[in-house]
Amino acid sequence: MQSKKANEDVSPDLKVRPSVSATSPESLWNERFLWGLGLIQASINDQISNRKKHRMSKASTWNSSQSMSITQAFLIHLICGLGLAVGICVAHNVYSINLISHPSHTLCLILAVETPIVILLYSCFRQNPDKCSYLKAVVRAILGLSVGALISALGAIALGAPVGIQYLLKTINWSLLISLFTCVPAASVFGSSWADWQRIFAHTKPNRSIEYMICIPAHTAIIGAWFGAWPMPLDWEKPWQEWPICVSYGAMVGYLVGIVASLGLAIVRGRKQHHKGD
Amino acid sequence: MSCSCTKWTLLTLTGVTLQLIGLSLFVFGFFPVKPALSGFSGPESYNAPACDDLVGNRNPSEISRPSDQLRSLYQELSGIPPLFDRLILMVVDGLPAEFVLGKDGKPPRKVFTEAMPYTQSLLASGKAIGYHAKAAPPTVTMPRLKAMVSGAIGGFLDVAFNFNTQAFLDDNLLGQLFSIGWKMVMLGDETWLKLFPGLFTRHDGVSSFFVKDTVEVDKNVSRHLGNELSRDDWNLLILHYLGLDHVGHVGGRNSVLMAPKLAEMDEIVKMIHTSIILTQENDQEHTLLTNYWRFFKSSRMVVSDHGMTENGNHGGSSFEETDSLALFIGLRNHVSDYASATHNTAHQVDIAPTLALLLGVPIPKNSVGVMISETFDLLKDDHQLRALELNSWQLLRLLQAQLSGLSCGNTPCNGVGDSQRSGTSDCNGSIEKMLCCLYMNAAVLHSSWKSKKVSDRPNSWEDYSNAIAAYDKFLKTASEWLSSRATDKPVGMLAFGVAAMLLSCLILSSLVLYMCREVYLVEKERLSHPNNDMRGWLLDETFVVGVILIIVISMTSSSMVEEEQYIWHFMTSTLFLLLLRKTAQLLPAGSILSKEQSRKCKFQICSISVLVICGRIMRGWHQGGVNWTNLPDISKWLEQAGSDHLKTIQLVSGCLVICVGLYSLSLFETKKIIIVVVGFSFSISGLLLLLRILKFQDYKHVSSSYGATLLAQIIYAVLATTTIGSFVTLPWLMPIRISNMDSNHDINSSSPVPSDVQYKSPGLELRDSLYVIGWAYILCWCALQLLLQLPINSMPILLLLVEIMASMLYFFYEGQHCTEWVEVSALYFLGMAGHFALGNSNTLATIDVAGAFIGISNHSTVLSGILMFIITYASPMLVLVSMVVYMSVKSYHFIPQKIDSGHLLKRMLGFPCLVPLGLNSILLTAYTIVLLLMRNHLFVWSVFSPKYLYVCGFTVCIYIGVSVVAATGIYTYSVLAWRKTKQSSNH
Repeated sequence: MQSKKANEDVSPDLKVRPSVSATSPESLWNERFLWGLGLIQASINDQISNRKKHRMSKASTWNSSQSMSITQAFLIHLICGLGLAVGICVAHNVYSINLISHPSHTLCLILAVETPIVILLYSCFRQNPDKCSYLKAVVRAILGLSVGALISALGAIALGAPVGIQYLLKTINWSLLISLFTCVPAASVFGSSWADWQRIFAHTKPNRSIEYMICIPAHTAIIGAWFGAWPMPLDWEKPWQEWPICVSYGAMVGYLVGIVASLGLAIVRGRKQHHKGD
Repeated sequence: MSCSCTKWTLLTLTGVTLQLIGLSLFVFGFFPVKPALSGFSGPESYNAPACDDLVGNRNPSEISRPSDQLRSLYQELSGIPPLFDRLILMVVDGLPAEFVLGKDGKPPRKVFTEAMPYTQSLLASGKAIGYHAKAAPPTVTMPRLKAMVSGAIGGFLDVAFNFNTQAFLDDNLLGQLFSIGWKMVMLGDETWLKLFPGLFTRHDGVSSFFVKDTVEVDKNVSRHLGNELSRDDWNLLILHYLGLDHVGHVGGRNSVLMAPKLAEMDEIVKMIHTSIILTQENDQEHTLLTNYWRFFKSSRMVVSDHGMTENGNHGGSSFEETDSLALFIGLRNHVSDYASATHNTAHQVDIAPTLALLLGVPIPKNSVGVMISETFDLLKDDHQLRALELNSWQLLRLLQAQLSGLSCGNTPCNGVGDSQRSGTSDCNGSIEKMLCCLYMNAAVLHSSWKSKKVSDRPNSWEDYSNAIAAYDKFLKTASEWLSSRATDKPVGMLAFGVAAMLLSCLILSSLVLYMCREVYLVEKERLSHPNNDMRGWLLDETFVVGVILIIVISMTSSSMVEEEQYIWHFMTSTLFLLLLRKTAQLLPAGSILSKEQSRKCKFQICSISVLVICGRIMRGWHQGGVNWTNLPDISKWLEQAGSDHLKTIQLVSGCLVICVGLYSLSLFETKKIIIVVVGFSFSISGLLLLLRILKFQDYKHVSSSYGATLLAQIIYAVLATTTIGSFVTLPWLMPIRISNMDSNHDINSSSPVPSDVQYKSPGLELRDSLYVIGWAYILCWCALQLLLQLPINSMPILLLLVEIMASMLYFFYEGQHCTEWVEVSALYFLGMAGHFALGNSNTLATIDVAGAFIGISNHSTVLSGILMFIITYASPMLVLVSMVVYMSVKSYHFIPQKIDSGHLLKRMLGFPCLVPLGLNSILLTAYTIVLLLMRNHLFVWSVFSPKYLYVCGFTVCIYIGVSVVAATGIYTYSVLAWRKTKQSSNH
């Protein structure tokens, strides 16, 4: 309904951010990163809103209060994907470990890089921003991370993941990763709204861009992990057949595919809506 | 409408019959069963076959003679002085003849010649003769060893049917040598020890488990060699070197390790030969170097070269694989021409008759080999002919067993040919006639040579060579025919079988499809909102189709076949998680949740969770499979914990099975007295079971005392009475309801039923009686399994029962949101996952043979076979039997509708019968085609064929289960319908 405002809504939060991240458990590095992020976002918002002022001055039919542009979606996904890449690179180059040699350490590193990015980015797009503060979104995202990890660990074990003390750390790390891909964005955006969760995860019926961005990568990450489990029982005697290496690879590949797919969908949808708008 | 019902039944029956015909055609085509002779060759083998009647009766007493007497008897009868009384048999695992003899007239590669200087010098000087001995597939260690010592080419089913013992029970060379008192020593591959337990006076077995180890395996053999060679208390020394095979596995034919390994083998040959020359100049020694080779060279290597696992998986049929070496050293003849040596070809099976004749024992009964005549050059002419004659007689006996029409009648018993037929004739015509004529030619020539030999000398040389040629011709023809009988696959039969199976698969799956369409058309008409949850059920339908596809695809991979348990568990759990997701779709948000719905959803979520958790525990119970069997699992853990814990677990699960059974019976509310009777008889058998465990079970297994057997028999009787009694009597005892149904336990009571339908169709009574009969089946089956299965499996049986109960609850509350065929397939998957959870795998080794003798007082193959089948197919059968309860549970949703009787029966029986048949036919057909495509695969005998046997077993199991379900449904229905019409006419 009110597209210009939608984009501008974001910026006030970004200005509040320093105080938020000071209270959050993240490090100084994150704080500085967020500052940068905020600046990028603000500038983009300005740009976009300016452009939109030009283009759609007469009538605009953005339908939701939290709608985002394609550029924003692209940026979020890019940063998330880059975060994943940075995590793997840091593990590989700085600590010279990889998923095959040290699965749980590498997963830890990837998580340490990716978690703040995902939480802080998606919290910007929470539902009902006037009722729910940024801090609250971050907190419920962290809560979502742990609950989601518990559920995905249970799911993995139900599907045959090995149980035992020696696998505990690996399972925890892996389930945190899956939870980060699936539950965290949804938790920070929807909170505890059962109807939304049901719509996204049970019915797979996303409506808005942000919902597409949550729904599709989450589903593809799970599907990727599911297919990633296939080589595990085979007798190829490869080191990566161990739990949870190939499953993690599958999840990450699925997530990246999901990102690309949701971007594509966002573009298609954007065009459609643009046409409708005209 | 009842016509349509008949049509459906007929179509289904046609499909099943076609499948049965196709399957049996395929099985007999693919696994040829050749009639083999039982028993062992004795003194009678030195007489012509026609005299068997005269000598045969004496046979048992001859065998039991002391070995010394037997030895001299054989010598006397055979008329050939035994050439050797010691033999060193050196088996170099995986050595191709090409490495030693070259190929196609060319000498072997320079690297190899240089690596084996001593062997090459032996060959060049004529002290050794080498042969390309063609091995028959499967080129795997154990069958090849069997072929070498018995001369027979075993079919696959021979292997399959003596699964409980690895010991080689057929007539063989080692057994014959043992019976004449030879002392044997074995060093090397422990396969020999498994094949011939107790035959060796000394042995040191090495395992071929660690394929990467190319050094230690051979060191372990060689370390005793010096000692053994200096001793003289053995007659037969077997050396089996695995290192070269391991080198091949690690690096292929051209591995850098190959030349050093060949040099090592050469050193050993040298050591043996020189030690014999040095120490036992007087003894005539005979060293035989013999081998077989597997394929390493071509690009296929990378795929198939998995290394040698514990059970020794290899064996295709290309030239490189079958080109094995037979090298005779110490025969002191002079085949000095090198080029001719490279052309010497023989068959691996020829080794057995050759050695038997050389060592002075009868040729093993089922040998299809022909003696290698060059090795008999040391013998005098008449002895050579006698050897050929003995070999011919042995083959003739075998031929007579396989060709009933073969009787070369006029061969006199004393072996002297008849003088009436003097000339030889051209042989043609049918195979019987031809073989017979060839044999007669040889026999005639032989006898004429004998008679001439006495009278005039000069002519004899020509006659002699004629006789030899005639014998050779007969032996070659007979041997070829016999071995082709063992390996040939009749193409027409296979093609017809596959076609029939494809057709039946088509019929059955299209029946399922039509059924689906018909039901949904009805449902759509009835439901006002057809688009309800379209997406939800589409997902799980797609998934089930996907599962079938994935399983069919994964069957083409040998590793996936070995580890099939993972696939089924993964698929089943995923399917249940998808159903959980669907339940979450139905869970309405917040306040609009009515009490009824919330209870329903809660039940559904609970039952799915129970299903998933039980499934996971069962997956962890037995690791299963082939490659990861050594990983820890619950059963190993419990077995380590001690037998007391095991017994406790068995008792607890027995009690819990009784409790669960009584609870699920008590869910039924109509007529208490019936439930009490059924429950009582079930509890009696359960308590007897517990008593048996408490009283007779000692540490490892149940003792086979008289009391235990009697108690088991009592339990069988009680269970059988309960099952058959409830099946027969319940439809008669079930009270007929006249009034509108009591809505006590009916959730669909909102739609009132017109009373005229109530009168005509016995829906409610049918539902009730099926429920009780179904539970009686399930519980009795579980009790039977508790009796028969290993103690460790009692908990999985309980879990299976809980799973079935939970799934019944889920399907009850599911209502019409789930399509029925998906539910039946889910049950089918549950059965498959449970099959592997009970410790079964796709190798024949996991069949529990010990349980097959419980409660049988005297040995009976048929009864044991039935019990073994019951044990092996416990889980799929349980699931199939539970379809009776499923029918009753599902009928809650359509019985209140106004449908007539034919329709009702079709609707009830349709899915539970057709879906398992359809699924199984798809899997069976797909797997048949896979087996056909993989017939030249390395693992066809070790992985694919055992799996195929299991698939055939599943088919039988499905037939039995479905017919039980159908019979129960139809019988109960007709009895109730008859009673109902009678009663309404009375009114």
